[in-house]
Amino acid sequence: MAGLAATFGSGAMTNSIQEFDDAEAFFVIGSNTTEQHPMIASRIIQAVRQKEAKLIVADPREIKLAKLATLHLKHKMGSDVALLNGLMHVILKEGWEDKEFIKDRTENFEPLKAVVAKYTPERVAEITGVDKDSLRKASEIYAKAKRSMIIYAMGITQHVAGTDNVKSCANLAMLTGHVGYPSTGVNPLRGQNNVQGACDMGALPNVYSGYQSVTDPKIREVFEKEWGVNDLNDKAGLTLTEMIDAAERGDIKALYVMGENPVVSDPDARHVSRALRKLDLLVVQDIFLTETARLAHVVLPAASFAEKMGTFTNTERRVQLSRQAIAPLGGTLPDWKIICEISSRVGYPMNYDSPIEILDEINRVTPSYAGITYSRLKGSWGLSWPCPNEDHPGTLFLHKDQFARGLGAFDAREYIPPAEVPDEEYPFTLITGRVGFQFHTGTMTRKISILEREAPNAVLEMNSKDARRLRVIDGSIVAVESRRGELHLPVQIKQDIPESVVFSTFHYSEKNINELTICAIDPVAKIPEFSCAVSIRRV
Amino acid sequence: MKRLKKENVLPFLKEMNKTEKVFCPQWVDDRDLLFIPLGEGEYKGDIGKTTISVKTLVFPQTEDIISFRGESISKIIDSSKKLLFGIRPCEMKAIQLTDRFMKRDDIADPHYLSKRKEMTTIVIACHEPPSDTCFCIDAGGMPYLENGYDVQLFDVGDFYIAIAGSERGEEILENKYFEQGIEEDREKLEEIKSKARHSQNNKPGLKNAIEILKEEKADEDFWERLADRCINCGGCVYVCPTCTCFNVYDIPSQGGYVRCRSWDACLHAGFTRETSGHNPRPTQGSRLARRHEHKLKFDIINFGESGCVGCGRCSDTCPVGLGAIEIIQELNKL
Repeated sequence: MAGLAATFGSGAMTNSIQEFDDAEAFFVIGSNTTEQHPMIASRIIQAVRQKEAKLIVADPREIKLAKLATLHLKHKMGSDVALLNGLMHVILKEGWEDKEFIKDRTENFEPLKAVVAKYTPERVAEITGVDKDSLRKASEIYAKAKRSMIIYAMGITQHVAGTDNVKSCANLAMLTGHVGYPSTGVNPLRGQNNVQGACDMGALPNVYSGYQSVTDPKIREVFEKEWGVNDLNDKAGLTLTEMIDAAERGDIKALYVMGENPVVSDPDARHVSRALRKLDLLVVQDIFLTETARLAHVVLPAASFAEKMGTFTNTERRVQLSRQAIAPLGGTLPDWKIICEISSRVGYPMNYDSPIEILDEINRVTPSYAGITYSRLKGSWGLSWPCPNEDHPGTLFLHKDQFARGLGAFDAREYIPPAEVPDEEYPFTLITGRVGFQFHTGTMTRKISILEREAPNAVLEMNSKDARRLRVIDGSIVAVESRRGELHLPVQIKQDIPESVVFSTFHYSEKNINELTICAIDPVAKIPEFSCAVSIRRV
Repeated sequence: MKRLKKENVLPFLKEMNKTEKVFCPQWVDDRDLLFIPLGEGEYKGDIGKTTISVKTLVFPQTEDIISFRGESISKIIDSSKKLLFGIRPCEMKAIQLTDRFMKRDDIADPHYLSKRKEMTTIVIACHEPPSDTCFCIDAGGMPYLENGYDVQLFDVGDFYIAIAGSERGEEILENKYFEQGIEEDREKLEEIKSKARHSQNNKPGLKNAIEILKEEKADEDFWERLADRCINCGGCVYVCPTCTCFNVYDIPSQGGYVRCRSWDACLHAGFTRETSGHNPRPTQGSRLARRHEHKLKFDIINFGESGCVGCGRCSDTCPVGLGAIEIIQELNKL
């Protein structure tokens, strides 16, 4: 998000989901789309098959989309910036860039040119493992198609170079003029149904709703007036990973966690538990007693989506109304009511009647949500922001005619290697991810028998050659060890994974893969890398 | 032959609701048309096509079937009286097909049959297709029924022409809200039927698809290619009026346990996976093939009739365009 905000001025999908149907070329990097965003993947597949759209997949694994791809670039783990710079190198060398777009709509082009000049196909091949011809072909497909889309997900953001990766995607799109038109743009696929909404509402350390900075006095004034207070804090807060570190150091005394299970979802899980145990007060608000809630001093039982009304904002910036289906069970309350109660008890009375009244306030203080009112949502399938007034139809694609920040800013990045690369002691790279049947730490999906039946336990996916070398077969138990922990997992032999790379999921708290992963963070977005070096032995 | 004025439908249903639970299509939040107990939504006269078929009332999404505690075990049977008003002919036909399956001598299903026995069925024939995805005629059916219902109603504008199809149906027509019809109604009825027979433009070609499957023209590649898009949500199965796969599990209850069953789907890998880990239907393509071959091939062998009634619900529901209509169209390209 930080990467796109810096280059384009807005950290969200530039296009809407329906526009995938008409793209001419897709460049999918760091997204196992069929597993994680199957509805979008289905559109990509249809566009490729029925409209002969070209598909480039950049992924170390032979994911399902790779089988349908025009071209599959199996670049090495963590070499994304080098690959993207390599593509730009070829595009500039061949003169496939969009000169007019660069001149009229962007700035800082010269520094980019200087950086990508260093990424010759030979050097890129060395870093990424992608050969010269494939690099050229990919550059040509992406640059020459009229409507090209870049699609990415956590596969490129969860790296120490996560922000660099995103900026490089933005650079590539601007270089070729592939942003600001229908079916043309840069599309980060969000990992949860409302993660876009949470960010939009300012559930970030540095902004109010609608990405309005807490350091801007004019913006603070708007919120001070709305809330009837003075002197709102003008400093950005801490990110999640920073909070955990601060808790461990003793700098944070109390933590209030809502709908999150960091003991299982965050890297270096033992470190997370250790840090949380040091707190004077841990409050966890969730619909189930999660692993994190078990460590809490106070647990606040919240109502589920079916027991409350409100809105969700999905990956295409579409705000949709969610209606209450049943009354809250067993003494639970909707999150908003819990927050109002707590706020009132600590001295700031909050007296909203309903989520509708809260949405009214959002409309008043959030320019991009100003026109997304309850009465409009009630009669529609939702509205995509920016939607500045009640007559505005919502926005299908962003940055038409001009970028949200005015001119698009090229931000040239250099390749940096991953934090922890395999060595003699830990010769494998462990990557983590999800399967389609389980959601995150499984607090909800693992309670559903049919989903649990589809994906009942954690496995370690491994290439057959590695399996032969380790003398293990499907189902053999192996010990996976990193510098932070050890876990015993059954092997699942897969053809779609490269040698020396293993894959597992973080859904299973009884086999918490995050006890092994690394908490090396991206310096800008503070997103952790997760991937790490491991050793594997038969047990 | 009798008449039921449309303005009398609600009073009639309300009266019936005093002695048996009445279900009919009602709108919830102006968004969803559901077959639910009278009063739980808004009845607007427009029967339409409900998102989930009436199957849910004879074969609920989840039901308790056995309770056990210590030595005692008891069957849980629901034999409450229900009146279902506004069933579509295709749904009724689906129930008839399901009856045959659930009544097979060796494995009669008491939970289904008890509900079925106490159910009064009032079908409303479709004078025009309730949606673009309807294809009952192409599927070998008709937008009205010849038999197998208690009462069938035909829409004539201000009123329905009512025909009894059983003794129970004759009883219903004795209700005060049903008025004596006139001789011209007979003509009108034929007129409506004839119009209804020609009312559907949606003709995916089910008969030909059946032949193609019989000739084994659809190979593994064909199904795998389609399955690339299948997201394995099971939606097509759940909304299908003839799908009856279920999963069984026990949950603790009052010091004992209750055995429940819930809808399941043959599209899920776990449905056919064996304890050893081996799966006779190992790929999504093989499971998709299984589902459609069951309806369009094996049902014909076992029961002499296809298991697809052409209601189009799977095509309405599938988020990636892989309902029966699309599958039939793809088969016809072979």
